[in-house]
Amino acid sequence: MVQINLPQNSKIEKGEYYKDKTGSKNIRKVNIYRWDPSTNQNPRLDTYEVDMDNCPSKVLDLLNKIKNEIDPSIAYRRSCAHGVCGSCAMNMDGKNGLACTKPHSEIKGDINIYPLPHLKVQKDLIGDLNNLYKQYHSIEPWLKNSKKNDNKENLQSIEDRSKLDGLYECIMCACCSTSCPSYWWNGDKYLGPAVLLQAYRWIIDSRDEDRKERLQKVADELKLYRCHTILNCTNACPKGLNPAKAIAEIKKMLATT
Amino acid sequence: MENKNPLSPHIQIYKWHISSLVSIATRITGIINILSITLICMWFASLLFGESNYEITNLFLQSFFGKFIAVGITWSFSFQMLSEIRHLIMDLGYGFEIKTTNITGIIVIIFSFILTILIYLLGRQIIL
Repeated sequence: MVQINLPQNSKIEKGEYYKDKTGSKNIRKVNIYRWDPSTNQNPRLDTYEVDMDNCPSKVLDLLNKIKNEIDPSIAYRRSCAHGVCGSCAMNMDGKNGLACTKPHSEIKGDINIYPLPHLKVQKDLIGDLNNLYKQYHSIEPWLKNSKKNDNKENLQSIEDRSKLDGLYECIMCACCSTSCPSYWWNGDKYLGPAVLLQAYRWIIDSRDEDRKERLQKVADELKLYRCHTILNCTNACPKGLNPAKAIAEIKKMLATT
Repeated sequence: MENKNPLSPHIQIYKWHISSLVSIATRITGIINILSITLICMWFASLLFGESNYEITNLFLQSFFGKFIAVGITWSFSFQMLSEIRHLIMDLGYGFEIKTTNITGIIVIIFSFILTILIYLLGRQIIL
């Protein structure tokens, strides 16, 4: 259901203010969403003054600097720091992206950092993505092929292989799905852009023999057709992929076959 | 067990894009159009009951508020029509690149106003 307002226990309160102690003249204010599961308090927005003269270029560097030098209690996911693992997906300046690839110089004014939208928060910037992973599992993201040619490669023409370009690069960071208003309101039933892009990746694979069943499986009023081409997904994707187009291709295949 | 953790903010913090604005406006104008078509049908039905009904509606549409509503409905129809054409093209699988959607979105917004003015001028017989 469409619920515009946040529930009572999710309302964001004013948090603490960490004043700069370095005496630097190049200061930026960073507002970060905080929630501690060990207390019964509501989430809050803490503000940190950060010395930008000694801070590398990306938002993740900024977070690391705050964690190392100002407040070690802040929690966020990160791993590769090169836009490959998808761990540090979060909402920066009102737009989803990877903290490790987003330069803070692109953000004007105060830097606002929130967890990915419309998720159950586990701590601070960490959201619960279990529902998305379950949905990913439901589309059976593995090759289904009955041929038993154990000692040979499964050949594919250059043309067939090129159909997977723009799909196989997806790192499942969930930036797209959590940017989608349809997924916010119907996340329990609608599969969302990330999972549908993956579904299309297996539907279009020439080596897969289950195309018809896969198409039938997603052909559902709620699973697929909740996509209303809002295109927040394509705008958010940090890898420059186009989930909206993948969803449109699935709809087209269903309409023409 | 129900998860009692807080829900992270969504529409409160998410930035609007041209594509999302056009999309929500399409939905809102769709609802306005359904309501206004119903009202127009009721107006026509009321004409069956004599001239006095015509006079009342006419008086209302001649007022500033009435004119504002008439022009508003015209814009709502124009916007819906252009936006649906955009969606038809998208259903064929074209125009999903960010640049293209931004351009088509802006075209829809600008031309909805131009179309409204054209219909107004046509209706007042200022042109043609």
